[in-house]
Amino acid sequence: MSFDPAKTIGGILLVLALAVPPLSCTSSNRLEGYVYYRLNASPSTLDPALIADVSSATIAAKLYNGLVRLDDGLGIAPDIARKWSISEDGLRYTFLLRRGVRFTNGREVKASDFKYSFERVLDPSTRSPNTWVFDKVEGAGEFLKGRAGEVRGFKAKGDYVFEITLKRPFSPFLSMLTMPPAYVVPREEVEKQGADFSSRPSGTGPFTLKEWLPDRELLLARRHDYFGGRSMVKGIAYRIIAEDLTAVTEFMLGNLDVIALPATAYARFKNDEKWSRYILSREGLNTYYLGMNSSRPPFDDPELRRAVSYAIDREKILNTFYEGRGRLAEGPVPHLLRRWKTGRPIEYAPERARRMIRKKGLEDLEVDMYVSADREVVDLAEIIQAYLARVGINVNIRQLEWSAYKDAVNKGEPDMFWLSWWADYPDPENFLFPLFHSRNLGPGGNRVRYVNREVDSLIEKGQYAVDEEERDYFYQKAEEIIIEDSPWVFFWHKTDYVITQPWIKGCRVYPVYSMDKGTDIMIDSSAVRR
Amino acid sequence: MLLVPLMFAVTLFAFFLLKALPGDPVLGLVGERADPETMESMRRELGTDKGFVGQYAGYLKLLLKGDLGRSYYTNRDVLADISRKFPNTMLLAFAAMLVTVPLGTGLGFLSAVSAGGRSRFLERLIDTLSISGLSIPVFWSAIIIMMLFSLKLKLLPPSGTGGIRFLVLPAAVLAIPAAATLARVTKTTVLEILRMPYVTTARSKGLSALRVQLVHVLRNAVIPIVTIIGLDFGSYLNGAVVTETIFGWDGIGKFTMEGIIKRDYPVIMGCIITGTLVFVVVNLITDVIYHYLDPRIRLNVKKG
Repeated sequence: MSFDPAKTIGGILLVLALAVPPLSCTSSNRLEGYVYYRLNASPSTLDPALIADVSSATIAAKLYNGLVRLDDGLGIAPDIARKWSISEDGLRYTFLLRRGVRFTNGREVKASDFKYSFERVLDPSTRSPNTWVFDKVEGAGEFLKGRAGEVRGFKAKGDYVFEITLKRPFSPFLSMLTMPPAYVVPREEVEKQGADFSSRPSGTGPFTLKEWLPDRELLLARRHDYFGGRSMVKGIAYRIIAEDLTAVTEFMLGNLDVIALPATAYARFKNDEKWSRYILSREGLNTYYLGMNSSRPPFDDPELRRAVSYAIDREKILNTFYEGRGRLAEGPVPHLLRRWKTGRPIEYAPERARRMIRKKGLEDLEVDMYVSADREVVDLAEIIQAYLARVGINVNIRQLEWSAYKDAVNKGEPDMFWLSWWADYPDPENFLFPLFHSRNLGPGGNRVRYVNREVDSLIEKGQYAVDEEERDYFYQKAEEIIIEDSPWVFFWHKTDYVITQPWIKGCRVYPVYSMDKGTDIMIDSSAVRR
Repeated sequence: MLLVPLMFAVTLFAFFLLKALPGDPVLGLVGERADPETMESMRRELGTDKGFVGQYAGYLKLLLKGDLGRSYYTNRDVLADISRKFPNTMLLAFAAMLVTVPLGTGLGFLSAVSAGGRSRFLERLIDTLSISGLSIPVFWSAIIIMMLFSLKLKLLPPSGTGGIRFLVLPAAVLAIPAAATLARVTKTTVLEILRMPYVTTARSKGLSALRVQLVHVLRNAVIPIVTIIGLDFGSYLNGAVVTETIFGWDGIGKFTMEGIIKRDYPVIMGCIITGTLVFVVVNLITDVIYHYLDPRIRLNVKKG
């Protein structure tokens, strides 16, 4: 092997020349007529029975329909069911279906499709995490355990009448039917695709899946035969971008049309005259809280828990650290869902907190607070730590990686932890039963392990109550006791922010992921586009 | 071949580590509102309720059939996902190496040669550059480079997977620390060789300085340089998590990381196995290159 210096140097230069970026412009290969969104995580599945994450649910809303859906005011609106009635005793729901609703394969939706789709969710071999949506249905228990071949409570009466019978009245049921597991799927496609139905979905929605490059991009194309009025855009493209800063850069370059405004970019856009008018916002259906493990000392004492609530100036944290991106919480139920007023929200009273703690002889109390390893949360934990130090509670912050954190919290390991709860359906029950009923300790939602028989019974009464006013009465009473017992420090309901390009019209912020069917958004081609 | 027992040991060790980690794969699947029965039946379906031995045996059985299983979360075939992502990772690794190797060796060599010269300006400049390159964290350089070339100059797209336009920025970011390391290694090696008697001999024979440096010095410096390149390349082929995440490059690194975060055992195992194979192959190639560069190094392929 001979070594020729001239050739070597020439080779090096050639390689260097190749490595120099070729000058080309950023004209991205966007599909004309498509509106570009960002998702921060790749959807895990598009099989509605299996969906348990927001990315997947957001897309499923555009591919499928259920019996009913949410309207803009968070009320229940017709979807495939054009009308429905509920029997006096609140047990029997009868849905009259629209005619001419078709799956992507052209077949018309019949009542039997709903029976199949709903039973499929309950079938153990489906491995659905959403069985709780239908567990109040007559005969669901036996079917779940494999002791019955069908669910008695689901009945197709002819092709266009579907009837659901419940074991007992359950007021949030209709609201729950707006969730992904209650979407209708075509049996023949599910059986043909098997496990691949997750990535080759077929539904009735305004869009169909055109292409899915997992972890990169997902394209939905408009359906022309959609029964609910076809979409104004040719399609929707979702680009999967994990990093907030990258998404903001793509947006500023005009490669994305709509993004949820990340916290880190909020101030910049808000204070920018050019952009601030393109920010849309809506009060969110969520509650951020500091949970206290109520099942063991020291926080099994409601008075100590309340002292913690008094000790933290939540309003100040909200308006400074959190830049006012939310509304102060008075209790667990978001304001949008509360048709009642709370008597006494907890105020900031550090003196009182200090006195209460001293009276108990608990100065120099040491507690562990777990947080997930997220910058914003860790900063917040330090603020809380400082407030609590002032009243004599020493907080040790323990940062855990997300999976380990979730596991620890579900098992009740920490004394304190930071979490939030987001609505699946807009009913006060969604912020009471899973979170404070003693049947849901741990992974079921009641991660503070709060047990109060009176609250249990009030929540149940609310679930059974057919009359709305009566229902609110029970919910309100339950919430008042919960506020009094303070298993949480109720922080805030985070506002959702979205920013759009000037050429986007008809974009709205939806407090529940299932509401956006993608049929309202428009691209105004006359608007200037660089 | 030693590969079989090695793979066995690696899978066993990786499996053991996974089991020792806190966290439960089912938690990510069931969402925020799970009842114990659903979780139990899911564990049964996934087989995570069986003990360590049972689970490991099950996995080996699958593996022997050449199957890496399906992801717990996406239900997609792990082998198919890896085969789709690995070429991207390879492309990025090659592109990064294409910048790293000439830049690193070139600068290191220049720095060593100018160390003996009258003005040491060049040496100091290169040393400063390489120290900075080593010390700048990737997430920072990635952001700066994106801001500059995408947002301000609008030359290249900030994210995406695809052709050369998408490749340049992440490759450059990856190349910075690697080229810096390589420059430093090259410099020390070359300095050492410059002191060798055979260099003095070559000089005294009246050969030109350039010829001495290129033929007698650089060629002898090549072995440690190839070692470093091999190591870097091996690690790039296992993905670069931060770079891939920031530039939205659909590679193995991000895939592995997300698998770990969600405790998606089949994905993690698949990535570990691929990674091991990659390292074995890269080391083999490095060894072969050693042999060609320095015939004194023998490959122990055939016994006797």
